[in-house]
Amino acid sequence: MLRRAVLSVPIMLSALSVDVHAAERVKVEGELIDTWCSVTGIMFAYGTAHHQCAVWCAVGGIPVSIKDKDDNTYLVLKVGDDDLSVANPKIVKIQSHEVSVDGELVERDGVKYLLVDAVADDKGIVNLTEAEYGVVPFGE
Amino acid sequence: MAVRSLTIAAAALAVLAASPAARAADLWGIEGEKAVVLKGKVVDLLCEIGGTCAPDCGAGRHQLGLVDGNGRLYPAAKGNTLFAGAVADLAPYCGKEVEVDGLVIESPRMHLLFVQKLKAPGDTEFRSAEAFGKAWEAAHGKADEWFRADPAVKAVIAADGVFGIKGLEPQP
Repeated sequence: MLRRAVLSVPIMLSALSVDVHAAERVKVEGELIDTWCSVTGIMFAYGTAHHQCAVWCAVGGIPVSIKDKDDNTYLVLKVGDDDLSVANPKIVKIQSHEVSVDGELVERDGVKYLLVDAVADDKGIVNLTEAEYGVVPFGE
Repeated sequence: MAVRSLTIAAAALAVLAASPAARAADLWGIEGEKAVVLKGKVVDLLCEIGGTCAPDCGAGRHQLGLVDGNGRLYPAAKGNTLFAGAVADLAPYCGKEVEVDGLVIESPRMHLLFVQKLKAPGDTEFRSAEAFGKAWEAAHGKADEWFRADPAVKAVIAADGVFGIKGLEPQP
């Protein structure tokens, strides 16, 4: 019984390490997006056309992700020492911007989660969408 | 006999339709959507993924999710208040098992959970996941559309405009 318990400890630690430590150092370049609208395809979810809606959603606590040019979507869980991922003012005010970040990528059940060290480069909004910024969802 | 059976079946269906447990989620016509009643443990995504754990799941500061009986993690992206997430609904039940009536969106890019209704420990019925809206109203007062009245939203839009680029105006 004791022997079985001792043998199971490394197995438990190993299982734990899969969940918590299977992180990969990455550099990601892409647009900060409103995860819900982007993943579900609701409305036109990118760039200028979606900026206002993306701000609403980020302030409302909907997760913010980064979408890269290969259509990978990374759900952001923290930025540097700041563990705030719900309506983080630093992220809210740069919604829809093209950014470059370094961080740790952890993939689980097909979802890519990103622990960002810092936003290394912020190019502002470069995605002038919907026939060159002609549409603002929900107007006004 | 047949009439009696039909009557009983109709009565049973009526009871099921009225029962909160039998409620089906509202479909949104989203590709990959699936109506679910999902039972799972409320978890802090930063703890599950990054190993940085807080006893209260971050007290509303961290994105949350549900781990089902098979160990699959569902990030909760949406609650039942317009343009708002589900953290305020789930945070009080950190580490506890809840039932969610809602949608799972199975996109090739990621799967997401839309929490439409919630049955927490001790609840006998599902209730709408509208905690964000209620908390917002308690903090700011009544508004037709919280997202237009919110001071944080107003500050961002006032600084850079609805397009996010200062000075950019809609084309004529």
